[in-house]
Order: sequence, then structure tokens, then C-alpha cells
Amino acid sequence: MADLQHLATGTEASSVAVKGLTKGYGPGGVVRALNEFTLDFPAGECTVLLGPSGCGKTTVLRSIAGLLPPDQGRIEIGSDIVFDAATGVLAPPEKRRLGMVFQSYALWPHLSIADNIGYPLAAANLPKQAIQARTEAMLEWIGLVGMGGRFVHELSGGQQQRVSLGRALVGNPRAVLFDEPLSNLDARLRERMRLELLALRQRAPFTSIYVTHDQLEAMTLGDRVVVMRAGTIEQVGTPEDVYKRPRTRFTADFMGIPNLVDGVVRASLPDGAVVETVLGPLRTRGWRGGWADGDRCTVAVRPTLLSISAGESDGARPGRVIRSVFQGTSTIHVIDMAGTELTLESFSEERHADGAAISVAPVPGAVFALLDD
Amino acid sequence: MTAAGHAAAAPQAKRRLPARERALFAAIALLAVVMVSYPVVLVFLRSISTGDIGSPLTLEWLSALVDSGRSREALINTAIYTAGSSSLAMILGVGLSFLAARTDMPGSRILGLMAMMPILVPPFILVVGWVALADPNAGLINIAASALAGPRTVLVNINTMPGLIWMTGLFLTPYVYLLVAAGFRNCDPAMEEAARVSGASRLRLLTTVILPLQRPALLAALLLVVIMSAGDFIIPSTVGLKARIYMLPSLIWQNESSFPQRPGLAAAQSMLLVVIGLVCIYFQRRALQRGGRYTLVAGKGANVSQFALGRLRYPLTALAFLFALCSSVLPILAVGCMAFMRFWAPYAMKLENVTLRHFHYMLFEYPQVWPSARHSLLLGVLGASLCVLLALALCWYMVRMRGRFAGLVQYAMVIPLGVPGIALGVGILSFWILVPGGIYGTLWILLLAYVTAHIPVAIQFVGSALHRIHTDLEEASRISGRSLIGTIRRIDLPLMRPALIGCWLLIYVVILREISLVILLYNPSTIVLSVGLMDVWGSGFYPELAVYSLLLMVLGLIPVALLSRYAQFSAD
Repeated sequence: MADLQHLATGTEASSVAVKGLTKGYGPGGVVRALNEFTLDFPAGECTVLLGPSGCGKTTVLRSIAGLLPPDQGRIEIGSDIVFDAATGVLAPPEKRRLGMVFQSYALWPHLSIADNIGYPLAAANLPKQAIQARTEAMLEWIGLVGMGGRFVHELSGGQQQRVSLGRALVGNPRAVLFDEPLSNLDARLRERMRLELLALRQRAPFTSIYVTHDQLEAMTLGDRVVVMRAGTIEQVGTPEDVYKRPRTRFTADFMGIPNLVDGVVRASLPDGAVVETVLGPLRTRGWRGGWADGDRCTVAVRPTLLSISAGESDGARPGRVIRSVFQGTSTIHVIDMAGTELTLESFSEERHADGAAISVAPVPGAVFALLDD
Repeated sequence: MTAAGHAAAAPQAKRRLPARERALFAAIALLAVVMVSYPVVLVFLRSISTGDIGSPLTLEWLSALVDSGRSREALINTAIYTAGSSSLAMILGVGLSFLAARTDMPGSRILGLMAMMPILVPPFILVVGWVALADPNAGLINIAASALAGPRTVLVNINTMPGLIWMTGLFLTPYVYLLVAAGFRNCDPAMEEAARVSGASRLRLLTTVILPLQRPALLAALLLVVIMSAGDFIIPSTVGLKARIYMLPSLIWQNESSFPQRPGLAAAQSMLLVVIGLVCIYFQRRALQRGGRYTLVAGKGANVSQFALGRLRYPLTALAFLFALCSSVLPILAVGCMAFMRFWAPYAMKLENVTLRHFHYMLFEYPQVWPSARHSLLLGVLGASLCVLLALALCWYMVRMRGRFAGLVQYAMVIPLGVPGIALGVGILSFWILVPGGIYGTLWILLLAYVTAHIPVAIQFVGSALHRIHTDLEEASRISGRSLIGTIRRIDLPLMRPALIGCWLLIYVVILREISLVILLYNPSTIVLSVGLMDVWGSGFYPELAVYSLLLMVLGLIPVALLSRYAQFSAD
């Protein structure tokens, strides 16, 4: 595997730094696809840009790739300035030494699998033997030994995905860009490829920038998750941070938390507060300090952090079941708590009739997310 | 060298390079727009000038269109000819395509191929072939009729208006077939099933669903054949002139080149054709665009129901094949037969008159044949290549760069489709005679004319091929380290190759047979094959004419035979 040394050691993996990136569309650039976007992508890490369509995540990726000229700002890869609006530097994509995995795979139908993978090496004018040796090694690495002579249409979707990955990695790229690479696959294959990508990441610490709108992908693949909204960063953090402590209503909603509960601060703590809500007092953690007793605030309540029991019970608040939906491993209960509609997910077999009186309490030890806004 | 050093060293160059590229492509686009539009302007100017352009203005020529007896006669004849041959082509084209695509007719695949064959056969073969078949004196059909019904029976006479209409109708049928057959094949079976379930009979289904759905395609086909027949040159100026049936295109030629020259009248007549052509092409484009409304889930033709012909199955099949035979196989056979006869006369139809001397004479002794063949091949190869290259540049500008003048180019490229070759020739001539030391009288003016006339077709081919290439494929190559030029070479060109080869072949074949465009632009030192044919026609010696037209056909078909398996001929 000497030919793919770079994958194991990550020698070429570089950091990527983006400063003040702005891109407008429409007449006069009035529609801001990207507004003063600033972020460092550390070398060897996987940073996931997460957000709904139109949030600007793809614009960031394509600007880094050189496929889209931004209006303002600066992009550095390693110590190279590849874009700087102030000095007019704009390196074309082929000079940036990156790899990219496309949503459509973008494999060339007129070239064999080996030629597809070896393409970046041929573009770099490597000698034929070196190209062949490294292509063979890459075919082995992605588990497609002996398939180099085939053509794209003879491969399954998952295999095409791997070829696309092999092509992105073979040329010793300084960073690899992923543009929603799994969204074309069906659910089962997507699940498998996600785990395969994770395994690859563990084998090869390359710098990755990964764009997706799927929070599960972001959680599993990212060392760091960047939630984006309307051309700006909404929240940056580890997957755990973003999942457990969304900073804003937008992030909470996007991370799949349906319950945003209004409350009043009872006691301010160094990392959050105790908040009085329809669910009783909740221990919360937040990002901004300065909460004072009596402040109105919003708490994001994850459906799995609530427990439900029939009738009344101590320390729990009474409510009423609106409907229960059995969905296999868990049951979703939509409940009414003193006029507030909440969603609750329970993993017990217990079911409750529509309209039944129940009581709800936080799971013991649960810490909830106190939102900034 | 690190990329940082590189970037810092030449920041300006990097920023400006795309701008310079854009400017270059924009310049090419504007030149192309000028190239296709100035002939029309010149035709117009010349039709309202007393003499050369620049002389006092006059309406004399435009009024002469109807005042001059011969011009009026030509107008009426052209109208009859256009109406007749368009109707015939529509009936045959729609009928054949329906029979081939939607009925249980046996041999429908072969019929489909045969219906398309006249596109590959030069129209001159059709003319010579039908002269051989239906000449009142020496036509094979009349000779056979005389043998049966007594001497000097004239069953069919090609030297009449119906004869002209017959040939043109046959010649135009494949174009109708081409536009209509795809629609019949790609009907959405669900729509038809819905009509059947709602209680429609087969006939009702045909008249209320199937044909109305094809309305845009039918209209587009009709307008195309109207343009092609109104501007058709070859049949009016060969058999038409011989039969003294004057039409606008042949009269334009005469007014430009025979004594007494009346270039102003020729320009006025051209102007009329230009107006008719542009109006038709406008409505044709609109019909095709509106066709989008009717375009259904395409390519699901597998399940369309087949109409059972019942008792009519074999008679209709026979009739369909007879028409297909008439437009290609019969004329070729007749020309082949003619080429081997010592004389072409009723009394000469004997085995002892079979000879190869015409081949020997035409190929080795006739002085014009090889110079004209050389010119034709050179112009065919150069013209087709230039068209493809220019179309590549223009399509890249329009599709990928989305340049500022993209819309303008798109509109301008419609002009050559609507302007008949003879009128385009008048326009190009009118300009270049004004340029001293220009390309008038050289091969280059012929090349320019060919490129001007055929660039729209090339753009249709190349444009649809480029549209089919997903930009991801190009971007993946850029990221992999190839420059734009390298990407075009390694990714776009290989992916477009079948379409490019198909486009090249089509234009090559058409250039080789093109007469109307160059009949006013050539001179004795730049004669081409097709114009040489007109000379031989003038001499009236048919066996030599037959050899010459076979040569034209063979030279046209050689590259097609060699390359067609690498080619893709559909423009979408």
C-alpha cells in the first residue's frame, strides 16, 4: 500500500480557512446566498455543513472548490491564498489540489473505472506506471479489485459511490469536499454507505468538508457540525453539542426537537438555569449567560427526555393524551399539558387510549437545552 | 513552486483571463450573428435600389414582381407547386409514419428505414431517375406502357406541374416522417387507454386524441415543407425549365445570370421568398416550442396500442412500400440503368447497347469532373468541420457561459433556416461584389456560403449534445486538476463525439449536393460537383448525367458508410 501512503498518514491534509465570504445573486447581487461567512476547517478533521436547502452550504463548498467565484472575502488552503477579493486572486479549480465527491457521483461514462480513478493522476502528468500502480492500490482500498476495466453503467449505486470517493482521494488532495454524496441513494444503501464513509475516515485522516441536510449524517460523520441558515452560521460545535445543546429555535427545530416550551428562569446557574415550565422545573444548560430570575425563556425539550405514566404520580405534571402512534421500537404520544401540545417518545410497550389522563415528568438526570432566543 | 507563490505572482492575470475568454467568445458570437443576417439586409437593399447598392432607391423591382408577366406567372406556379408538393409530402409522411409506428403492418422497421433513405440520396438522383422513368418519350414506364397498349402511349409525363409536384413531394416526405414519427412512437399509452375506457372507438381515439396530440409536430412539419418547396431550386431549374414552367427560384437564377440580367428583380423575388420563409420559420418555431406542452413522458413507447389494419393490411403495406420505393430505390435503379446505356431513347433499350464508355468518359476524359470533385470534397470536409467547430464555440458561449448575446445568437440562427439557398446566395453575392479584392470568385465565398447556410443545423446537434452533459462531469474534471481546455478535450468532446460525427456527416452530405446556394457564387475556376451536374443537364446527354449523379452520390456516401456506426443522427 506504499502507493497510498498519503491516505494513512494524511501528509497532505491541509487546513482550510474561509474569511468574510459573501456571495449575492440576482440583479446587483441583492439576494445574499452567503453573508460574511467565516470559518476555519482544521486539517485532518471532518467538518459538516448542515442546513436546509438554500442556506448557503453548497455555495461555501463550491467557493472553496473554485467552481463559483464569491463576491467578497478570502479563502486559504494550507498556506495558499486561493481566493482574495481584495487582491483579485482567484485560482481556478484545477490549481487547488482538492478532491470532490458529487451528489451525482459525476463519473465519466466514456472512461473505464480505472481511468475514472486515475484521472487526477493523469491530469498531474504522472508517469503511466505510477498511475497504474496507484489506481490499482486505490481499487483495492475501496474494495473494487479487478473491476478497473468495467464501465460506470455496469456498477451498482454503492460501487459508483466508492469509485467517486476513490477518484477524490487518489490524487493526494489537500482536502476532500463532499456535496451531499448520499442523498441519491435509497434509505438502506444510504445507511450502509454512511457507515462505510465513517470507516474510511477512521482509516485515513483526510481533511473533509461535508455538505448535507441530513442531521443523522452530520452526527455520525462530523468531528464538527456547522448549522447554517440564510447564508450565515447559526451554530458550530461537536455533534454532541449541537444535538444536546442547540443554541437557537432554528437549530433545535432542525435537529429534530419538536417541543419548544416557554418558561421563566427560577434560578440562574453558571452554565444555564433552572426553568419553571408546564412540565415543572427543568434543569437546563445554555450558551449565553446573564440569565436573571424571572426572565422569560424557551427550552427545547427532546421527546425522549420525558417519561409518561398512566394516572397521577408524584412529582409529575398531569396531562391528557391527544393521540398515540405506535411505530415499532417506540411509541409517539402527542399530549396536551395545560393547553401546550407536546410530543413525547416512549420506548415502553405501554399504550394509552386517546383522551386518557396521564402524568409527565422529565427523565431522571435530564438536562434540557436553554435557547438563546 | 507552491500554489501560493503562483497565486501571489500573477493575481491580475488570473482575474482577467476569464474576462478575456468571455470577450473572445462574445466576439465570435457577434460575428456569427452578422454572418447569418447581412445577406437578408443586402437582399432587401438591392431589391429597392435601381442599380448597385448605393444607387437611388426605387420601388420598380418590387412592383415588377407582379407587373412583369413572367414574374407573375412564376408567382402563381410557385404557389401551386408549393401547395401541391407540401400536401403530397404531408399525406405520404404522416401516412407512412402512422403505418410504421402505430399499426400491425408487416415490415414496419424496413419501411421506416426506406422512408428515411431519400435524405441520403441527392435530389438530383431523384430528378434523373424520374426522367428515366417517366420521360414522355424515353421513360421506362412509358416504354412499358407502349409495349402493352400500342406505340407512343404516354402514361406518365414528368415534364408537367403534377410531375414536378410528384418528385418534390417524394423528396420532402422523409422530413415530415422525421418530425412526426417520433411523436407517434412516444404516445403515452395511458392517455389512449383513458379514451378507450371512456368509450371512444378506435377511429374516435385517432381523431380526438392521437392526431390532436401531434398537432404541433404536424404544423411544424407542414411549415418546414412549405419553406423547402417554395425555395426549392433544383427541380424547378431542371425539369421545370425544360417544361417551361417558371418558378421564383429558377427565375432568380435566370435574372441574375442570363442575359438580360435583372439583379434588382432577382433581389425582389428573393425578398419575397425570404419573407415567406421567415414568417413560416417563425410559426414553425412557435409550434415546436408549444409542442413542449404536449410532450409526454417520452420514451415509454413500448406499450402503445397497435391499430389492426384488418383486410386492408396487405394492400396498405404494398402501397406504403411502393411509395418508399418510388422515392429512393426506383430512381437509383433507373439512374443505374441509364448510366450503362449507349443512348437514352426508346429504340436503344437493347442489350447490345450496354456499355461502360460513359463511365470511362466521365471519370477520365471529361475535363470538369475531377477539379469539381476536388473542390466539392475540399469544401465538404472544410465546411462540415468549420460548422462543427463554430457550433461548438457558439454553443459553449450560449449554454455554458450564458453569454450576454446568447439570446441574440439564438434568434439570428433561425434566419438561414427560413431563407432559401438561392436567396441566401443573392445576399452573399450582393455583399461581396462590393468588396474589391474580397473573396468573390474564390473557393472561400463558397465555403462562407456553406457555413452560413448550415450553422443552424450544427448548433441544434451540438447544443443538444452539450445540454446532455451534466456540468458535474466537467467540474469533477476541473477539481481533478484539468484546465478548462483539458476538460473540454478529455470529457466534453469524447462524450459528444457521436453527435459531432453525426452532425459532420449530415453537413458534408448536404454540402456535396447543394446547388441553389452556390449557383450564383461559383465561377469556372471554382466549379463544384453539383454545379457541374447542371452543365451536363444543359447538354442534355442523359447517360453521362446518370454517371455524374452516381459519382455525386457515391462520394457523399463514402464517409457516411465509413463513419456512421460512430455517429448519432438525432438532434435530441
